[in-house]
Amino acid sequence: MTSSNRQDWRLPADPSPAELARAAAGDRDAFGLIVERYETLVYSVAYNVLGNRLDAEDAAQDAFLCCYRSLPQYRSEASFSTWLFRLALTTAIDSRRRERRRPEPAEMPDIADERSTGPGMGVDAATIMRALGDLPEDYRTPTVLRDLYGLPYQEIAELTGRPLGTVKVMVHRGRASLRLRLRAAGEA
Amino acid sequence: MDCGGVRALINRYIDGELGYVEIAELQQHLDFCPDCSLELRELGDLRGVLAAWGEIRLAPPMGFADRVMAAVEREPLPGAPRSLAEVVDEALERLDRALGRMPLPGGRTIPVKNVIGWGLAVAAVVIGLERRHGREESEVRVP
Repeated sequence: MTSSNRQDWRLPADPSPAELARAAAGDRDAFGLIVERYETLVYSVAYNVLGNRLDAEDAAQDAFLCCYRSLPQYRSEASFSTWLFRLALTTAIDSRRRERRRPEPAEMPDIADERSTGPGMGVDAATIMRALGDLPEDYRTPTVLRDLYGLPYQEIAELTGRPLGTVKVMVHRGRASLRLRLRAAGEA
Repeated sequence: MDCGGVRALINRYIDGELGYVEIAELQQHLDFCPDCSLELRELGDLRGVLAAWGEIRLAPPMGFADRVMAAVEREPLPGAPRSLAEVVDEALERLDRALGRMPLPGGRTIPVKNVIGWGLAVAAVVIGLERRHGREESEVRVP
């Protein structure tokens, strides 16, 4: 599997090898620190892939449980942050494939960093969350993987189990749909 | 080149997939087509917005970390021997991920793993029936 470097620079700093070793040995306090450090990253990935707060919470919890079980197999060839980011992505995608979608409460998640106001360019956070949430699922996941997280198309095809050509078409349609939605929101 | 063909090129341009000749063709069209020029500009802006959104961290619901740790408390220690059911469950999950899903009419999909499972089950029933039928025939022939 190929990998993208785009996400590397904006991931949290890795825990120290000693912290990781303690967590891998079953030290729950050490693992608790990992959960605290990465909860916004893992939850954000799950929410962006699933577009649903309840499913995102379940998927983010599953990702941390999978991380806890798999820690003894973690090898430091990839940074821990990148490894956990991938784990969060695959867990969210698998969760989507199991079609566990539940009724969604109306409110949207808050931005964790209060200094950040949104994605900029005149688009506020609620607008982009609503536009992504309204996208058909078949379009949202490939578009999120491509344009939010910068994954190569081939990797998206492998992760989603869809042919490469289909993935490209879905991303193109997802972009077209988002463009119209954001334009309509700007004109409202 | 018409606008329909250019739309496909615009996405490939945004993805950095176009060669020099295709970029020149695209540029030629954009020089006289304000609609496609606007589409290129807006899709470029959209990618910027989405990339920026991908860096924003969303706050999980209150008490999320506590719920995760409560679930972790119920877990066996990492690396501890696992039950056969857990091993089988994980193997099926991996198989599911590797095989993907196949489309059904109406836009729905079904795991390929399930289709193979049902196929094997039907084949087993058919083979069983044929063997039983064959045994009954041989019993009829042999007095």
